[in-house]
Amino acid sequence: MIEFAVETRDDGIGVVTPQGRLNMVSARRLKEILSELVAGGTHRIVVDLGETTFLDSSGLGALIGGLKSARQSGGDLRIARVSPAVMTVFELTNLDRVLRARDSVDSAFDD
Amino acid sequence: MAPQVETVRDAAVEERRQRAVESLMLSEHVRHERFDRITRLARLLFAVPMSTITVIDGDRAWFPSSQGIEATEAPRGETFCDRTTDLDALVVVPDAQVDDRFSDLPAVQAGVVRFYAGHPLRDALGNVVGTFCLYDAEPRELEGELLGAFGDMAAWAQQELVASTEMSQAGRVQASLLPAKAVRIGDWEVNGVCLPALAVGGDFYDYGTSSGVIHVGLGDVMGKGTGAALVGAGVRAAVRGTHAAVTAGVDLGITVTQVARSMLTDLEQAESFVTLFEAAIDLDDGYARYVDAGSGLCLVMSPTGEVRRLAGQDRPLGVLPDDHWTEHESTLEPGSRMLVFSDGLLDLVDDEISWWVPIGDLMRAASDVDSLLASIAGLVQELTALDDVTAVAVFRHLPQEASS
Repeated sequence: MIEFAVETRDDGIGVVTPQGRLNMVSARRLKEILSELVAGGTHRIVVDLGETTFLDSSGLGALIGGLKSARQSGGDLRIARVSPAVMTVFELTNLDRVLRARDSVDSAFDD
Repeated sequence: MAPQVETVRDAAVEERRQRAVESLMLSEHVRHERFDRITRLARLLFAVPMSTITVIDGDRAWFPSSQGIEATEAPRGETFCDRTTDLDALVVVPDAQVDDRFSDLPAVQAGVVRFYAGHPLRDALGNVVGTFCLYDAEPRELEGELLGAFGDMAAWAQQELVASTEMSQAGRVQASLLPAKAVRIGDWEVNGVCLPALAVGGDFYDYGTSSGVIHVGLGDVMGKGTGAALVGAGVRAAVRGTHAAVTAGVDLGITVTQVARSMLTDLEQAESFVTLFEAAIDLDDGYARYVDAGSGLCLVMSPTGEVRRLAGQDRPLGVLPDDHWTEHESTLEPGSRMLVFSDGLLDLVDDEISWWVPIGDLMRAASDVDSLLASIAGLVQELTALDDVTAVAVFRHLPQEASS
């Protein structure tokens, strides 16, 4: 079962770290976490995928959903530390240009 | 810590079992009334203080339902259920303190459990996905009518864990929407297979010919189950409505963009998106036009056996509201083979990064579309797919192959 570390940093950026497999069951939880963050006023979110070993289309859906609601609130959602295996999922769906992978969590909002 | 019971675990069996457990898609940390009903009744009927339905998941045993036990999970190796799962048989332990298969367990050492009865719960393929258990702090027996009743309640628990009649009926309806039989025209042969992970799935495919053009489409709706299936049926119908225009020469990028526009509200409301590969192939000369909407999973094997990918740069339907899709072209020479599939297949091949290598090998090894689809279905059965697996194969045989 997947765990999520959620942290709001001093600069107001929310960092969510899913640990394990992001499948249909855990994607529902991720979606809730992301909408709670946005509803609570955290509009800039980094999803740290450094500890995510598997991501399916439900996981992609949760990320795209979070991206949409963050942007609607004037913020953004970025992904960081994507493993090569998980990267293939973004590349195949051509979503790597919608959600561009960043090298580190700290620099995810630098540009 | 001494292993009292023969627990030489077959790695392949365990891997398949673990995948089967994951495909149950059980939510943790919520009450499952449909399981609680069974364990409550079991406690009453067998007059035991504790009853659980247990799932062995990775290195943990967790309880979708438990009565009389505070914990929601335990380390796998410390549970009776782990051993029942490995034994794959009904286990009745009148007194665990004198049973050297179980006397080392912490619950026995602590004097909390002396009697144990466990029944394996299996999925349709025979994988042990859970156990139904009774426990007592005092030694006792389970015999005669009560033993029979225990078996009956285990069958009920198994039904609740793995099956749902309504869902399998929905699955039959969905299967009936797929093309009923293969297309065989001249040197061309087309067939598809759709193997949903649950009773109904989010994948769909379609093919059909009109005026010398064959249309092949394969879509994957984000998510699984009935919701995804309903969205898939909508997209499939919308795409089919464009076939006549595509045959007449309308750009496939334009028709897919139209489909995306018409589906956008539905997709946004369902918070879903769809990857789609759609192709129109001229049966005379093999000229193929295609659109890749975030699918990326189409391979073409040339007559000499080289495999290339047909892919585009376009996104799935339902991601961005004002998106556009572009038609690409290719040619299927005599002796070419094309395979379009959903990402569920990637999960079943050894090399997920260079997936086109093992899948290309499957394409090369097949003698016709049906044997290729059969080898894919074999992988699904062998490895218990977690996601829907769908594939459509198009073979253009060499003229002499078809006539021989």
